[in-house]
Amino acid sequence: MGNDMLQMTVIIHTRDSEATLPRLLESVRWAEECIVVDMESRDRTLEIARHYGATLLSTPIVPRIDGIRNDFLECGHHEWVFVLDSDEYLAADAEQIVRGLLERYGETSDAFCIPRYNMIAGQIIRSRSWYPDHQIRLFRKGCVRWSDSTHKLSELQTAQERLHKLEPPGCLHIHHENYTSIQQFIDRQVRYALNDIYPEEGFSFQQYVAWAYEEFDFRLDEKNDGELSFALATLMAWDRVVRGLIHWERLGRKDSLRRAYSLPITTISRYPEGVFPGDVEELRRQAEDLHQRLQFLESVPGVKLLARLTKSVRREHRKTKDRLKRMRQYFRGKSATG
Amino acid sequence: MSSRLCAVIVSRGLDEMLRFCLKCFFESAEQVSGSVEAVVVDNASLRPYLATSFPDSRVRLLRFDASTGFAAACNQAVRDCEAEHLLFLNNDVFLDRSTLVRMLQHGTVEGVGVTGSWLYFPDGRVQHCGVVFGDGEIGPYHLHRGQFMEPRSQFETFQAVTGACLMVSRALFNRIGGFDESYSFGLEDIDLCLRVRQAGQRVICVDAGRPMHFESFTPGRIELDVSSRRLFMERWRDKYTIDG
Repeated sequence: MGNDMLQMTVIIHTRDSEATLPRLLESVRWAEECIVVDMESRDRTLEIARHYGATLLSTPIVPRIDGIRNDFLECGHHEWVFVLDSDEYLAADAEQIVRGLLERYGETSDAFCIPRYNMIAGQIIRSRSWYPDHQIRLFRKGCVRWSDSTHKLSELQTAQERLHKLEPPGCLHIHHENYTSIQQFIDRQVRYALNDIYPEEGFSFQQYVAWAYEEFDFRLDEKNDGELSFALATLMAWDRVVRGLIHWERLGRKDSLRRAYSLPITTISRYPEGVFPGDVEELRRQAEDLHQRLQFLESVPGVKLLARLTKSVRREHRKTKDRLKRMRQYFRGKSATG
Repeated sequence: MSSRLCAVIVSRGLDEMLRFCLKCFFESAEQVSGSVEAVVVDNASLRPYLATSFPDSRVRLLRFDASTGFAAACNQAVRDCEAEHLLFLNNDVFLDRSTLVRMLQHGTVEGVGVTGSWLYFPDGRVQHCGVVFGDGEIGPYHLHRGQFMEPRSQFETFQAVTGACLMVSRALFNRIGGFDESYSFGLEDIDLCLRVRQAGQRVICVDAGRPMHFESFTPGRIELDVSSRRLFMERWRDKYTIDG
C-alpha cells in the first residue's frame, strides 16, 4: 500500500454481493485499509474482495445487519472509519472531498453526516422523504454505535456539536442503488419487517394504521418522482400495516384489530395537522414573512384597498403564528416526555 | 484493444440534451473505421446520471459530487482512457453524420495537433469557424460568430479553436500536460491550443458537415468566464499574433 493513500479504514458488509461490490471497491481504492465483513456469501463476493486486496472477515448470517456492525467497528488500524453497504458507492472525486473534510474539520468533529442518493427501480428519488437521507458513516473510531435494527440511523456517542453535517448540493454523497425493481423492494420490505424486533408492550394497531396514513402523506411527491412516488408511498404505508399485523401475531393476537378502522385517524397521528418536525422551520419563516408584509402595508398611509389587504394579511399572520405556537408546544411536550 | 476515438463530455443536468448529443456522436461514429467510446463526466448534476440512462455499453460514467472545473474534469476523464484520439465535446453540440470522418481525415495528418469543426447555431448562423485574437483587451474571439457564412475550403489553420468540439491525439494531450486546471470555466481550450502550437503542431478548423451548437446552456458560466479571462490575459497577452 502506498503512503499517499488516505489513512482510513473502509468497512463493508456483504452477502452475495458480486453484482455491486466491484463498483464500491473501485470507488474506495484510495483508502489505505478496506475490510470486507462477509455473511456466508455463496457467489464470487470473496474472490472479488481478495482481488481488490481487502481484508476478509466472516460472520454468521444474522437477521439484522445493524446489530453486528458494532462488533467490527474497532477492527481497522486507522483513526477514521467509513462504513458502506455493498450496494452503495462513492463518486470519482470522493477521495479529494474526504481528504478536504478531514483536514478542515477532523480536529473539531468526530463524525460526518453525509447525504445519500437513493435509487429505486431505476430512478433517483428526490422527494424529501428519501433525500437527502443523511447518514453518519464517516467517523472517528469508537465514536459511533448502531442499534440492533434494520436501517436505523447510527448514533454519535460523544456530543452533537461534534457532528458535521454536509449540506447538498455540491458535497460528498453516498450513492445507493437500493432496489432495482418494485418487486425487489417488496421482497426486502417483507424480509425486514419479519426480521425486526417488536416491543412486548404498548401495542396499538390503531397507531400502525395512523402511521400508514402518515407514511403515505410523507412519501408522496409526484412532482419530483412521478408515478413511482405513488407506488413507493403506497408500499411504505402498506409496510406499516404489515408490521402492525406481525406485531399483533407475535403478541398472541390479544388485541382487537377492528377498532383501528372506526377512528378518525388523524387524532392519534404522531404529527397533528400533518406537520412534521422539519416543517416547523418553514412555518416560522412563513410567519416572519407575513409579519414583514404586514409592517410594510401598515406603513402606507390610509388607502381603503390597502386597509382590506392589511386586514387579510393580519388574519393570515395570526393564524400562522397560532399554528406555529401549537406545533412548538407539541414538539416541546414530546421531547420532554421522550 | 484500445479504441480509435473517445469523446469526453462534461455535463451537468440537461439529461435529454446529453442523450441526443450522444446519439449524434455515435451516428457520426458509424462512418468511422475503428471503435469509439464516450466518457460522460457527470459534473455534480442535482439528479445524478444513471448508467441505465445511457444503455449504450460504449458510454462510461464518471460522477463528481462537487462541481469541478472543465479542465480538471476533462483531465481526470482522460486519465482512465486509452483511445488513440480524444474528442472534447459539449453536451449541446449535435454532430453531423460526416463530422467525425472529416475531422479524422484532416486531423490525423502529420503536423496537425488540434482539430476543431465549424459549428452552427440552430438557425444556421455560424457559431464557430475558428478563433482569432484582437488587439489589447479584446483577446480571443470567435470569427464570424452570428453571421450567415459558408466554408470556402475544407479546412483552415488558426491559432485556436473552441473546446466545444475539439479533437487531439491522446499522446499529444498528455505530452503537453492536458488542460490547465487553473482555469475555472472557459478559455482553457484556447490555452491548450496555444500550447499545442508552442509544441510545434498546427491547429485547424474543418468544414465537417453542419454540426449544431446551442452554446452556454449551463447556468453560472458567465461569472466563471470572467475569472478565466483575467487569468488568460495575464498569461498570454502579447504572446499571440493579432489576427482578428
